[in-house]
Amino acid sequence: MTRSLAGQAALIALAAVVAVIFPHLVNNYWLSVGITALFYAIVAASWALLVGYAGQFSFGQMAFVSMGAYTSGMLAKYYDVPIPLGIATGVVLCAITGCVIGYVCLRMRGPYLALFTVAFSEVLRIILVSEAEVTGGNGGLQIPSLFRGRSDLPYYYLGLVLLGGSLALMGWLVRSRWGLFFRAIRENEEAAAAAGVKVVRFRLLAFAIAAMFAGLAGGFFGHYVGILTPDIGSVDQMGLVVAMAVIGGPESLIAASIGAILVEFLLEALRAYEQWRLVLFALVLLLTVRFARNGLLALGADSVMRVFRRRDAATPARTA
Amino acid sequence: MQPLIEARGLCKRFGGILAVDHLALSVQQGELVGLIGPNGSGKTTTINMLTGHLSPSAGEILLRGERSEGAAPSSFAARRVGRTFQITQLFSRMTVLENMLVPGLARPHSHRAEATRQARAHLEFLGLAKLEGLQAKNLSGGQQKLLELGRALMLDPEILFLDEPFAGVNPFLRDEIIGLIQKLHAEGRTFVIVDHDIEAIQRLVKRLVVMARGAKIADGAVEDVSHDPEVLRAYAGV
Amino acid sequence: MLDYLLSQLLNGLVIGVIYAVIAAGLTIIFSILKIVNFAHGEVFMAGGYFSYFAIALLGLPALMGIPAAMLLCFLMSLLIERTLLTPLYSPKTERKGDYGVLATFGVSILLRNLALLVFGSYPLRPPSFWSGSLIVGAIYLTWDRVFAAGFGVLLLALLVWFMYRTPWGEALNAVGQSRESASIVGIDSTRFYRLAFGLGGALAGAAGALVGPIYSLSPSMGLAPDTQAFAIVILGGMGSVPGAIIAGLLIGLCENMFVAFFPDPSRALTYAQAFSLVVLMIVLLVRPTGFFGRRHMAME
Ligand SMILES: Nc1ncnc2c1ncn2[C@@H]1O[C@H](COP(=O)(O)OP(=O)(O)OP(=O)(O)O)[C@@H](O)[C@H]1O
Ligand SMILES: [Mg+2]
Repeated sequence: MTRSLAGQAALIALAAVVAVIFPHLVNNYWLSVGITALFYAIVAASWALLVGYAGQFSFGQMAFVSMGAYTSGMLAKYYDVPIPLGIATGVVLCAITGCVIGYVCLRMRGPYLALFTVAFSEVLRIILVSEAEVTGGNGGLQIPSLFRGRSDLPYYYLGLVLLGGSLALMGWLVRSRWGLFFRAIRENEEAAAAAGVKVVRFRLLAFAIAAMFAGLAGGFFGHYVGILTPDIGSVDQMGLVVAMAVIGGPESLIAASIGAILVEFLLEALRAYEQWRLVLFALVLLLTVRFARNGLLALGADSVMRVFRRRDAATPARTA
Repeated sequence: MQPLIEARGLCKRFGGILAVDHLALSVQQGELVGLIGPNGSGKTTTINMLTGHLSPSAGEILLRGERSEGAAPSSFAARRVGRTFQITQLFSRMTVLENMLVPGLARPHSHRAEATRQARAHLEFLGLAKLEGLQAKNLSGGQQKLLELGRALMLDPEILFLDEPFAGVNPFLRDEIIGLIQKLHAEGRTFVIVDHDIEAIQRLVKRLVVMARGAKIADGAVEDVSHDPEVLRAYAGV
Repeated sequence: MLDYLLSQLLNGLVIGVIYAVIAAGLTIIFSILKIVNFAHGEVFMAGGYFSYFAIALLGLPALMGIPAAMLLCFLMSLLIERTLLTPLYSPKTERKGDYGVLATFGVSILLRNLALLVFGSYPLRPPSFWSGSLIVGAIYLTWDRVFAAGFGVLLLALLVWFMYRTPWGEALNAVGQSRESASIVGIDSTRFYRLAFGLGGALAGAAGALVGPIYSLSPSMGLAPDTQAFAIVILGGMGSVPGAIIAGLLIGLCENMFVAFFPDPSRALTYAQAFSLVVLMIVLLVRPTGFFGRRHMAME
């Protein structure tokens, strides 16, 4: 127990060190890949929170990303609202919308919820495409950058802080009693209600919280990229996030975000193969869903654990 | 004395059928009531309404004198009404202890350490203490029934509705569950028990309520009810 | 104005028939396998391309593109079913609804990107079944549309006949009503899952082949019909074939009327895509059981 805890701490420290020195090891191109990966990692973790923990099968996470990005972007562009305030507004709007979606979906489960959230995302995307005078439509909307200067370094470290903060917050949440209630609702709503869990409240909370993190990620990434297109909220983008989280492990925040980072880097590393990469990742997604539903990382961790356990069993002196 | 829970003119309609038909039922503090009736007579539906899982189509539910029909299940749970389900409903991919902690922590002003202590005490009482780290889905059917009972106990319920606690349970475990119920009853908890195992029910309860086609057809001491011609007809005739 | 409305109405009917064919396939899959198939639109897309290449590469006459597409989509669906959907029949699989969503969603991403890779992103246009247009007074309708509608109606009629008048169809219905009781009366249900999934795919493929000459083919052409089909399936009462047909016609008509009456024509076309989505959302909200259908069916 203590050994695995120490191991975990060591792993986290190692990851932190690698993450901090990463920008000094790579060129600008890979730095921007790193920032994108951090963005996807937050979104994938928020999806894991909503789907993996709370069991609310939603495909609406990228719609909230888009909502956060456009809210902040338009506030900054048209009303000169300071960007941090704009991002905060986006996050609040996402929380409210998340609550509303959660509320109207109370009677829906599983696939119906998935359908509803796909429809919601597409409607939002179509509105963004159609109202081109304000949103720039498919041509995109130029929005101010968060940092002055040409370097991407500040974005990288901000993204790192955001990811670390989001994971810490979400991690604390899922270990708290709320996390326990989320999982209880995922497992059996009827029984959770009988056990005294206020199911309605916690379903709304799950939606709102997950939407907030998505909105935050969207605001950050939007002001990094500097140009918003309605495509960030598309079904294909959602598919990418689902692939990331599922390949990593949808029932673990960390696994989902590692999955996101791995997939993003692999996508770029395989850029030469163009369209093949997406086909490849779709295949990997399907294989994961079919044969390792808890994600490849969980599968990997499991086999490592098994090796350790076998070694422990082979040395009776220690178990005695 | 004010009944602990009382139903007046309780009805539930599902489309064309009246699953519960103007039911009147009152349970006093400390009673142990058996609720029996043929399949489809509306027993589960009644429990569902009395615990907030279904809202009645008509009628009133008074919990300690307070109008409560249509309130959420969590509100019944918070007011110390516990229940089990006809088909065991657990949090399958959570550990035994976590299953117990959900109601333990859902109670207002609860603390994790205290809830854990209570959960362990109940698990000890149910003979599940050694299994606390196991996922609920890996328990045997009988252990699952016990865990479900334990989860209800975490609400520190004054009244417990048990829907078929003896279904699919071997005679030894059945005797064990009977013993547990008797102990809990001796602590002052009130029970309403639905089951088709008339023998077990007769060993447990003094008062029997019989339903047929959604309506209550008998209510009284076990000896009287079991000789009631209408009850015999209901069981023979359906 | 009246003529314009009338042609919009006819166009709406044509498109409604196509929707009905797609949705009928989706509803059969839903009622038998109890999954919401997110890849249905991509099978429809594949049907369009199969037909195109059957005509272009094998030199088949245009009309033969339709059966070729149906056959290939049938086989492709069988492949999907065999490789990915079998866990749905195993009692050991947890959360089957979620599994079905993830698996079919993954297939839809795979097929869309595969199409992009193999067929490219530039739109292709298969040859007409029947060139020229039907012109009556001021009303104008291409023969391709007339043909698509006619063929679609024929398919739907065949389907209804199959589902309600043949032993296979009746058995399929029985499995749809209840897996357990079907297996008790000795129906081997896994065979019917395969049949249902293949049949649903074949219908989608036929629809894809039919719209090819009307619109062009593109890898993303399945996205919109997919949500439309969902809206139709739910509106039509999950699992009811006649319901899906009625609802399909209705949605096709309403969509075209929506375009015709939308105050701002420059936005009408983009918002037309949102129309069925909004219908889908409203139907899910108000009446998750649909308007024509049987009782709500659980997914598990
Ligand atoms: N959700 C529902 N929708 C429609 N009908 C229902 C529903 N729940 C119960 N019913 C119907 O209500 C009637 C009473 O059902 P209920 O489950 O209360 O019976 P029961 O007495 O518990 O039977 P059993 O001893 O078999 O458990 C039955 O005819 C049943 O079909
Ligand atoms: Mg019952």
